[in-house]
Amino acid sequence: MIVRIAVVLVAALVLAGSAAAACPTPHTSLSKLEGEIMCPTCHTTLDQSDAAAAQRIKHHIQVLIAQCRTEKQIKADLVANFGAGILAAPPHKGFDLLAWWLPLGGVIAGAIAVAFGVWRWSRSRGPDEEPPGSGLDEETEQRLDELLARLD
Amino acid sequence: MRTLKLTGQVVALAAVAGLLGLLVWRLTHQSKPPKIGGPAPGFSLKRVDSSGTLALASLRGKPVVLNFWASWCEPCKGEAKMLEQAWQRYKSKGVVFVGVDYHDVTGDARRFLERHDITYPTVQDGSGMTADRYGVSAVPETYFIDRRGRLVGEHIKGTVANQQNAFFRGVTAALGS
Repeated sequence: MIVRIAVVLVAALVLAGSAAAACPTPHTSLSKLEGEIMCPTCHTTLDQSDAAAAQRIKHHIQVLIAQCRTEKQIKADLVANFGAGILAAPPHKGFDLLAWWLPLGGVIAGAIAVAFGVWRWSRSRGPDEEPPGSGLDEETEQRLDELLARLD
Repeated sequence: MRTLKLTGQVVALAAVAGLLGLLVWRLTHQSKPPKIGGPAPGFSLKRVDSSGTLALASLRGKPVVLNFWASWCEPCKGEAKMLEQAWQRYKSKGVVFVGVDYHDVTGDARRFLERHDITYPTVQDGSGMTADRYGVSAVPETYFIDRRGRLVGEHIKGTVANQQNAFFRGVTAALGS
C-alpha cells in the first residue's frame, strides 16, 4: 500500500513538474476561474463547492492551465463538455446579450419614468399657477375686509 | 400629455403581462420525472465510446437498460463490472445497454470506459439536460425501457451492484413486454 502511494506521489510530482515546464508563464489561474465557473451538480461556483464533480472540473482546469491555454480557450473547452450553463455569467454574444442588456434597459426605463414623474409633479406646482379662490361672493368678501380693517 | 400618459400605462401593463407570461411558462414547462409505465424521454446525444450520436428512438423495438453515471462518481466504479457482465449476458437476447455519462469531461469518461472495459454504447450528457428530463438527482441511476419505449421495472437509485434483484427484475420486465 505504501509503495503504491509512493508511486502515485512520484508520478504526480513528475506530471506537475512537466506541466510547469510546459507552461512557465500560465495565462490564467485556477483561483480566478473558480469564481467564474459553476459546479454543474450543486449549482454554485467552483470556489464554493467541494462536490466530486467540482473537484474533477478544478483538476481539468489545472491541466488546461498547465497546457498554457488562455482563459477563453479553457471556457470554450468547458462549454464544449458541459454546455453554456457551466459559465457563471452568460457570454456577451447572441441571445445571451439579453441577460446583460435587459436589466440595464429596465434601470434606464425606470430612471426615465421617475424623472418624467418628477418633472410633471414640479410643473403642476409651478409659480404661475393661480391660487385657489376663497369660495365667498364679492359682497361677503368686502364685508370681511372691512371687519379685518376695523380690527387693525 | 394625455397620450403620453396612456402610452406609459400601456407599456407598464405590457411589461407586467410579459413577466407574468414568463412565470406561467416557467411553471408549466418545469420538467417532471417520468412515470413507470409512461414513455421514456427521448434523447439524441454525442457518443463517448465512438464518433457520432445515438438517439433513443433508434433503439425502438429493443429492450434498453439506461445507466446514468460519471467518472467522478465513486459508486459508479463499483457497479461498472457488473453492468458490463450483464451486458455480455443479455446482448444476445437483444437487450441494449446504454451508458449516459453525466456532467463529465470527455477525456475522463473515455479513461473510465477503458479502465473498466465497458463495451456497451455510451453517450455524453454534459449539460445534464437528459438526466433532468429523467429526474436524475444523483448518479448512478438506472432505468429500464421496453420495446415500445416505455419505462418498466423499478427505477434504481444508487448502484445496481447493491440492488441486483431489482436490476434483474428490471431487465426481465424490459424483455418481457
